[in-house]
Amino acid sequence: MSKRAKNEKREMRWRGVAVSEGMATGRVLRIHTGGRQNIYRAMLEASEIKREVRRFQAAVRLSRRQLLAIKRRAENALGAEHAYIFDAQLLMLEDRKLLDEVEEYIRQECANAEWAVKVASDKLLAVYAKIKDDYLRERSADIEDVTHRLLIALSGEAQSRHLTEDAILVAEELLPSAAAELDFSHVRAIASDAGGWTSHTAIIARGLGIPAIVGLRELYRHARTGDEIMIDAGQGEVVLHPADETVVHFKAARKLLPAGAGANGSNNGREPLLTTDGVEIVLRANIELPAEYAGVQLYGARGIGLFRSEFLFSQRGGVPSEDEQYAAYTEVAALAGADGAKVRLFDLGGDKHLAGEDFESERNPALGLRAIRFSFRHEEMLRTQSRALLRAAARGRIDVVLPMISDVSEVRRARRIIEEERASLQTQGQETGELKIGAMIEVPAAVLLADKLAGEVDFFSLGTNDLVQYLLAVDRGNDAVAGWFRTLHPAVLQSIERTIKAAADARIPAIVCGEMAATPAYALILVGLGARVLSMTASAMPRVRQTLARVDAVSASEIAAACLQCATASDAEEIVRLQLGTRWPHLFSPENLPAPKREE
Amino acid sequence: MLEKQILIVNRLGLHARAAARLVRTASTFRSSVRLERADHSAVADAKSILSVLLLAASRGTELRLTVEGADEREAMGAVCALIESGFGEEQEA
Repeated sequence: MSKRAKNEKREMRWRGVAVSEGMATGRVLRIHTGGRQNIYRAMLEASEIKREVRRFQAAVRLSRRQLLAIKRRAENALGAEHAYIFDAQLLMLEDRKLLDEVEEYIRQECANAEWAVKVASDKLLAVYAKIKDDYLRERSADIEDVTHRLLIALSGEAQSRHLTEDAILVAEELLPSAAAELDFSHVRAIASDAGGWTSHTAIIARGLGIPAIVGLRELYRHARTGDEIMIDAGQGEVVLHPADETVVHFKAARKLLPAGAGANGSNNGREPLLTTDGVEIVLRANIELPAEYAGVQLYGARGIGLFRSEFLFSQRGGVPSEDEQYAAYTEVAALAGADGAKVRLFDLGGDKHLAGEDFESERNPALGLRAIRFSFRHEEMLRTQSRALLRAAARGRIDVVLPMISDVSEVRRARRIIEEERASLQTQGQETGELKIGAMIEVPAAVLLADKLAGEVDFFSLGTNDLVQYLLAVDRGNDAVAGWFRTLHPAVLQSIERTIKAAADARIPAIVCGEMAATPAYALILVGLGARVLSMTASAMPRVRQTLARVDAVSASEIAAACLQCATASDAEEIVRLQLGTRWPHLFSPENLPAPKREE
Repeated sequence: MLEKQILIVNRLGLHARAAARLVRTASTFRSSVRLERADHSAVADAKSILSVLLLAASRGTELRLTVEGADEREAMGAVCALIESGFGEEQEA
């Protein structure tokens, strides 16, 4: 397929942390953090090339017309001096160097125009990144803007029928705003410089059941869109510009993998999941992207345990309207069926920025104006969301989850707003449904006051990712402190136990969502701590189901009880390694258990 | 072919606006217009904005201007006048 001499680029290897299983080969699609791209490599027939070049030229003309119109508007509004920036962009669209390069690439590589534009612009950006002058270096923003405009212009035309599905996303970190705009049906794997087991990259990849490796320092800087790349999550390895013999070796290794690794298992979830001593465990699905909806039924989830509604933002760009939200929640509820869907209110702020809206950057976003606090600050947005949820609840079973609750008064305030909106909808003659309200338990204060909160809400949702982050004061996106992120830390386990017990005492359900539940060894500990409802990425369900169906809840509680007594995370991890490895060696091979960590 | 050493005198150097004006001016002529840093570290086609920006020519940078073609005399005059006038940005703070 590629006529380029492979040897012209030296093979390079990286080792990282595999966060989603599998192997894949393909071509790099660089995702600029926060940017939006939606392009893939297509192989064109010789007969299509001319048409493709014309399509590119038409897109250039369209982009120019748009820019001229914008420039005129800017001139009228700001005066001619300030419209000059569009001159630079207009000239880029006239720049023969750029246009010729794109057209040449289309012809030489039989590539689609989108891909050729992306390759040319990546190349330019790499050159600009080296300029020492700060002001000029920033002109790369113009190049990106022009590229973006061209890609949009291209997307306006009939296209994408014969896109090959071989894009491997390479990003510094895949942010939700960027992720939500990708058509993941064409993505084979994800590799990112930053991130850990609970990063967005990892969560998205596991949700889609595609391989992903994170913690690949500087891969993003070295990789160019269009480069050949291979990913082997089993080895935690990424190979850029693989040599011929590496490709042969890799393909042989992939043949040995069982088809659809991870998704095996005959019991796909139609029957209840019982431990060997007859305790029923309910598995529900965490979803965010529409691409994940299919997995809910495929893996037999008992409803949706967590719908991360803020993803509606990044898809639609800007605040989604009441009707848009109503449609989305109705769809999610229909998908969940009789088991219902728990919709978490927008968890915005922090690391999840709104597309198209500027936020003042906070010094400490994880502790800043985010989640429920953000919703209270933007009360109209909260009221709109409440109305959409109330209306959708008339059509299907929906519960609402309040994120980042740290005080009972926040629950009361949210409930009051929701009830006000219900009254207002009813006076307008709109139908509303029952909406149970739950609190996300993820802030240590909520754990300590769980008994008080339990008296005010209908259920608890335990968000383990953020709970670990807040309890242990570890930024989960920061590589430097990844060693401090210890899911089995006794303080974490005690918090989970305390929360589950408070819920049981108040006779309200507690559901554990968060990546912890998706790891079989941790899921077993959660059951031991008293959890009976686990919500996870749908693709993780077969694994967790297989494990929990072969263990007994009594042993799980014994092991959990021992861990609760530990003084250190390492002690608890050691107990889990030893106990699981000896009681169920057929279920837990050493690599499926928490690895010992080096201590200072 | 005509050649001339020329100095970037405007405060902001060949930034986006100045570069745009240079490219616009050069593009009105049929002759080829090339700019090279006096230290030979970079060469640019003056009709390509992407290439001109890459010169990263700040104030005080010395450039060699080479013009070749049917209307080279006029092209040289126009480009020199533009650069020497500092791209008319004097009044800026």
